[in-house]
Amino acid sequence: MKIYSFLFILILTFNFSSFAETDEEIGLKIAKEAYESTRGYIDSTSEQLMILIDPKGNEVIREISGKNLENMDPDDGDKSLIFFNKPKDVEGTVMLSHTHVNDDDDQWLYLPALGRVKRISSSNKSGAFMGSEISFEDFSGLDYRKYDWKYLGEENYEGEVCYKLESYPKYENSGYTKRIGLTDELLRARKIEYYDRKGDLLKTIYFEDHKLYNDAIWFADTFRVVNHQNDNSTIYKWENRQLNIGLNKKDFEKSSLMRLAD
Amino acid sequence: MIEYLFKRKILIFFLVLLFHTSHINALDFKAYGFIQPESSIYINGDGKHNQDNYNTSLFGKGTFISYLQEGDAKFTISAIGRYDQNDDELSYLDFQKFKYEYYFDDIALKVGNEIVFWGVNETFNIVDIINQSNLAEDIAGTKKLGQPMASISYSQDYGIFDIYLMPYFRERPFSGKEGRPRLLFEVDKNSITYESSAKKRKMDFALRYSAVIEDLDIGLSHFYGNNRTPVLSPNPSTLKFDSHYPILSQTGVDIQATKGPWLYKLESVSAKDGSERHLSAAGGIEYTYYGIRNTQSDLGVIVEYVFDDRNDNPFNNEGVIGLRWSLNDIKSSSLLAGYLFDMRGNSNRFQAEFEQRVNDDLKLFFDISLNGSIDNADFTYQFKEDSSLTIKLAKYF
Repeated sequence: MKIYSFLFILILTFNFSSFAETDEEIGLKIAKEAYESTRGYIDSTSEQLMILIDPKGNEVIREISGKNLENMDPDDGDKSLIFFNKPKDVEGTVMLSHTHVNDDDDQWLYLPALGRVKRISSSNKSGAFMGSEISFEDFSGLDYRKYDWKYLGEENYEGEVCYKLESYPKYENSGYTKRIGLTDELLRARKIEYYDRKGDLLKTIYFEDHKLYNDAIWFADTFRVVNHQNDNSTIYKWENRQLNIGLNKKDFEKSSLMRLAD
Repeated sequence: MIEYLFKRKILIFFLVLLFHTSHINALDFKAYGFIQPESSIYINGDGKHNQDNYNTSLFGKGTFISYLQEGDAKFTISAIGRYDQNDDELSYLDFQKFKYEYYFDDIALKVGNEIVFWGVNETFNIVDIINQSNLAEDIAGTKKLGQPMASISYSQDYGIFDIYLMPYFRERPFSGKEGRPRLLFEVDKNSITYESSAKKRKMDFALRYSAVIEDLDIGLSHFYGNNRTPVLSPNPSTLKFDSHYPILSQTGVDIQATKGPWLYKLESVSAKDGSERHLSAAGGIEYTYYGIRNTQSDLGVIVEYVFDDRNDNPFNNEGVIGLRWSLNDIKSSSLLAGYLFDMRGNSNRFQAEFEQRVNDDLKLFFDISLNGSIDNADFTYQFKEDSSLTIKLAKYF
């Protein structure tokens, strides 16, 4: 079905152009269609590997495994569980997030050393995730509801025609002021440039290893993040990603953290 | 040395359970842990009890988790232990977790040793009562002993009910003659009395309701059983402390409101301890500045206060101001520092913990504990000359 999305967008674009639709409206339509093409996964599990690389080329490994639950409420965000495996000193730690579209998320952390579940502040969605160049905010960066959009035209990227979209976060605690991204004809994000709170170019995320899951949903299995200010980079890989496997909704509640931990 | 609660029968029960379930499905398990050599220097010389100025110790923790019956059941062992150079009372092995859990849709059943934490505060955890504190490890009581229990948990959209039955009581460990810090006298393990005629076989009981309502995390709890904190009284003939464990009936409430970078916390208990009724409340505020000075580092400020209407309670009118600085760097460097003060007297203490990862499986810890001016009537006066610096290096496996 998604194969027709491209045509659909072309028609939309054509139609809206001819009816003098604004660049903001075209941008929003493309972003919305792109986001909706990633929906319907119901739930998912995956192993995630991060390679943190400093400017000298030194590498550090991080490993987590994740579970996600899609939220069918059009005004709310998904739920996720992160199980920390490496570095070994955080093994056994589990984080539960109930994400919200333009508000702080709800987050709880299970700390095995104290046998304690803590509700933590989440107004820092833009902080470094496990010392990497990716932030929590970036994981939901394709959610069109979080941004105002503007269509900037077409641009060739790696031999393909892409839509160039500018977006501005609506969330007041966002770490960014602006993003400029390229979305290809299959509505897959290919790269996004992020501008920091001062308006300077901060980093670029390249979305790579696109894979079609369950014959329906494209996911990029690699995020390559390059920080232009400190020259660090992060390679973030998803492995063994499985969709629609019938996870228990109750696993995504605070009371399940201890049962899922130790 | 170890007060051992696992009778052979219970152990066999667990092993039978484990192998009975595991030979049907492939054994899916996780195991991890660490060993941690530690070395302390006491900077006030020999101190009040003429003790060694140096101490080395080896601490370790191991966790084994086996997922059974396609995730419907779980078996966990988590043990901590220490070998201490100077103090035999500090050398111990404890099964913090040794439990079997089974999950139905809304109901979870659990039998065995478990650590259960109640409450929201960083420093004054007055609601937390299920587990005995290992005071030999840590006079703040953050290290717990595994509590044998059978528990049932019932979860609904409007909250969770937990019921705990605790058939065996664990006496509080204190540091021995060579332990630092230590009390004025040793605690006599042969002179322990209980209000309950069943003594340590008294069936303790606890109930908790907890819920998340948007920004609020709330808990209501009731506990009836042997108080985890004994009354210590010096015995003139043995020159040791006799301990008495009264029966405690305690109702508690804990609430945390999470409003962006602000956390508001409150805990309160009303309790009947032996024949005496008392009221206690503790709470505070935590605020975090994110990305200070355009770096990745965060600075949290914590202010907490505890009130207790018992004048003789060591924590009846105390405050703490703490700072938590997380660099959010590759080494996860962080510093936690706290200044504790008695608002009625002049006593104060300073504590700080710095930690930094060395590489993937090594982490360095540096702790400072400084006692300032302490009133000689204060409970902590006996620790006054035990200011220390401690270095720890954890090797994870």
